[in-house]
Amino acid sequence: MSFSDLLFAFTEWLRTTPLVETALSISEHPLSLLIASHFWAIPIIQTLHILALTAAFGSVLMINLRILGLTGNSRTFAQTVRRFRPWTWWALLVLIITGIGMIIGEPIRELINPIFWIKMGLIVALILLSLWHQAALSRYTIEPGTALRFGAGARLGAVGLILLWCVIMFAGRWIAYAPV
Amino acid sequence: MNLGQLWEAIQASSLGIYIAESAWAFPTIESVHVIAIVTVVGTVAVVDLRLLGLTARDYPVTVISRDTLTWTWGAFVLAAITGLLLFASKATNYMANPYFLAKMAMLILVGLNMTVFHLITWRTIKEWDTSAITPTGAKIAGALSLFFWVLVIFFGRTIGFTLGIYE
Repeated sequence: MSFSDLLFAFTEWLRTTPLVETALSISEHPLSLLIASHFWAIPIIQTLHILALTAAFGSVLMINLRILGLTGNSRTFAQTVRRFRPWTWWALLVLIITGIGMIIGEPIRELINPIFWIKMGLIVALILLSLWHQAALSRYTIEPGTALRFGAGARLGAVGLILLWCVIMFAGRWIAYAPV
Repeated sequence: MNLGQLWEAIQASSLGIYIAESAWAFPTIESVHVIAIVTVVGTVAVVDLRLLGLTARDYPVTVISRDTLTWTWGAFVLAAITGLLLFASKATNYMANPYFLAKMAMLILVGLNMTVFHLITWRTIKEWDTSAITPTGAKIAGALSLFFWVLVIFFGRTIGFTLGIYE
């Protein structure tokens, strides 16, 4: 069974769930009709989603590349975290809001889509990994020096987070091409 | 050969046909293109916000640009390569699409803004490198850069909704 067969099977299963009813009722909501009746609504929401992504991924890169010693080595880790971490979480909030906007605007395209649900699962994993990483790093953020070395777990977490964000962006674009 | 024939030749090349017909090539290249652009704009914004004097004001401008520039350029090269591959799949449609042309115009403006900034404002960098308050030229360059990049993303996203409309 190929991966696309699996995706087809996933879609078939999604079609047997109450999600179909949910998607249809969202699509009849005035807000959904409003978005659907304006050509520019979806492109603008998607643009805002990508702009939030630039803030989220940019700040994720600056923090995690700092852990790997690939950028920002002349400032302390505490400074880097203070500078960039708020951007990650606020951008994530905007990503969620614009993401909900896209679901309301095109509920069937999103909710009856196997790649959408794979992306949602990856986002849950991303948030859990981020929280774990952040907690595990708290002992480094009180370290005053710039020369500190990070442990294998912190470095592995940094690589994992960057890759996970990339996979999620990848999945996000593939929602448009899911075999449904 | 005129330009119209050039776009047709690109589209009719074996690479162009492959990307257009393959089930996975276009979406995969497009996904990498999005990741690359997000990286470009995400790292450029770090410098632009410092030029505007809005963030990291206690940090030298030269250090911030050194921290980000390698990543910005690396991602830009990736975005350009993937962009050219996407273009090759439907070159004539892209050249007929006003939003694609607008995106290219924004990229030219991004380049001009950067050139002017480096030729004029950057000459005095030593005077304001560590200063929280940046000169007007730096603020204008930072604001224009953010403005043009936002439009690059907006026009880029719009192409996907309008490619079939223009022939």
